[in-house]
Amino acid sequence: MNVQRMGTAMGVVFAVMAVLPFFFGGTDHVMHILIMCLVWGIVASCWDLIMGFAGIFSFGQVAFFVVGAYASAIFALERGVAPPAAVFLAGMVAAACGVLVGIACLRLKGAYVALVTFAFHMVLEPLLKSPMGRSLGTGGSRGILTIPPIEIFGLVFDADHKVAVFYLALILAVVCALVIWAVIRSFWGTAFLALKDSEKFAASLGVSAFKYKLGVFALTSFLTGVAGGFYAHYVGMLSTRMLGIDLFVILMIMVVVGGIGKFPGAILGAIVTVTLNELLSPLGPYRPLTLGALVVVLVLILPDGVVGLAERVFSGRRSGASRDAAPAL
Amino acid sequence: MPWLEFLDVLISGLTNGAVYALMAVGLTLIYGVSKAFNFAYGSFYSLGGYLAWIILVPLGLWGGYATVFVLAVPLLLGIGFLTEKAVVAPLRARADWEIKVMMLTLGLALCLDNLYQVVFGPRMKSLPAIVEGSLELGGVIVSNQNLGIFFLSIGGMLSFRWLLNHSRVGMAVRAVAQNPQGARIVGIPEKTIFAATFAISTAMVGAGGILLTQKYFVSPTGGWDILVKSWVITAFGGMGSIQGALYAAFILGLMEAFVGYWFGMSWVLFAMFGLLLGTLVVRPQGLMGKWG
Repeated sequence: MNVQRMGTAMGVVFAVMAVLPFFFGGTDHVMHILIMCLVWGIVASCWDLIMGFAGIFSFGQVAFFVVGAYASAIFALERGVAPPAAVFLAGMVAAACGVLVGIACLRLKGAYVALVTFAFHMVLEPLLKSPMGRSLGTGGSRGILTIPPIEIFGLVFDADHKVAVFYLALILAVVCALVIWAVIRSFWGTAFLALKDSEKFAASLGVSAFKYKLGVFALTSFLTGVAGGFYAHYVGMLSTRMLGIDLFVILMIMVVVGGIGKFPGAILGAIVTVTLNELLSPLGPYRPLTLGALVVVLVLILPDGVVGLAERVFSGRRSGASRDAAPAL
Repeated sequence: MPWLEFLDVLISGLTNGAVYALMAVGLTLIYGVSKAFNFAYGSFYSLGGYLAWIILVPLGLWGGYATVFVLAVPLLLGIGFLTEKAVVAPLRARADWEIKVMMLTLGLALCLDNLYQVVFGPRMKSLPAIVEGSLELGGVIVSNQNLGIFFLSIGGMLSFRWLLNHSRVGMAVRAVAQNPQGARIVGIPEKTIFAATFAISTAMVGAGGILLTQKYFVSPTGGWDILVKSWVITAFGGMGSIQGALYAAFILGLMEAFVGYWFGMSWVLFAMFGLLLGTLVVRPQGLMGKWG
């Protein structure tokens, strides 16, 4: 998908989202789902940027989200920072974690990167519950309750004012999407492609893997951390249950549905998946089972996501030819 | 610490290390041969535990653990073979299949874990010990269960090594690992070997589940811990190196036992993560591994 069409698709998705509150503004439940679509849209497109475009198999996205959420809540509660500033600081904390994880992954490739980033995810829950985490204010296994909502110029963005929260989330999502779009179409995007295709060749042309890989880790974890902070102030409570494997898999479904490396497919994937997950909730204990099975089926039958499918339908011949050329093994 | 207790912790560490070795070798085998990373590995550990539980507790078949191994190991082999053929093999034709396999197996893991929860309930199941009683050696008491687990794991490892070095399948597996194209040229059915490797590794982790869940418990999500441990061992020992996995497993088993004894079990994960990061920063290829 070329960058112009990416921009158009993004514009259409957000424009449609922007008018939805006029129809559903009165229904809190629907508004909540729409807000979550936007928040997860940010996280999923960050994951898509690092995995689909930069080719780094990072499995730490949920962990950065949780780090952002906890950091923002702790800044607001323990240090008395105003929530909007706390959200920004939380992004910085998540970015710092991202850079640290990125440094550990720098010399690694493929499955090893997935291993280290996922290990960060696995170790986060015991860390938050440990005495060390409790002394920071994570609340141990009880989690954090009563997080103050975001307040700007007297406007309160809490669960009682869902339409206001929605538009704030929309602004955040548009800004994040524009940043990601700008990165993809800039020199950075080209550098990622070069590094993904052949790291050695790219390095010989003077593309610094060190700079760009750490840069993408910092950027995606910053945006994810900001989304996490926003989420924390919106729902008002946090627990380590977010680190369960269900949420991770749901996020993965978003990226798979949207298509890996098919920005802004991930945003679309987030909208589809959050809605689907909500529709599946009557299944109770069978819901995670269905979600897991869904991943297996989707990866097998829809490997390029809805965007890849649309590309194949609209420009059948050209993408058909490139598909034939791609599988070398 | 008194040296009797020290010996106790040492024996526990060695026993766990032996089982970890068996499971880590299974993981390193699939990655070494087919470059596929299996996130559902831990779920097959739980599967082994549940199969043992079904055979021993509700069915109560004659023969105890001998029957468990005779019935469960071929079943695990079959399940592994079919899983590879059904969900992993179709992805191999794609350029970005590595990440697709990781995603797919992660979904499979969630699916299986919740399937266990629906079928067996969220409560933990306990299994009877493989051998009752204990042995006294010069004042040191060693439970027969630990000894049994230790020797069965070592036996499993040795028979796997013999299989890999001397049987036709094993030689084909090694050939594919060294050079898939060359193996294809001399007529080795590459695809069948990939599936066979997956099957063997599933059986190894399932056997690990049968051996280890009797010391702990079988639970729907108990496999994640095992996945992480097998992973850390594989990375620490060197991906693709069986010898390395063997040493790493014992080092990690002992580390776990002693860190758990001195600082508490919650520190084990941190210690492992630290060890993993340290290894990867200083020597990314692991103890005895080679890149590639």
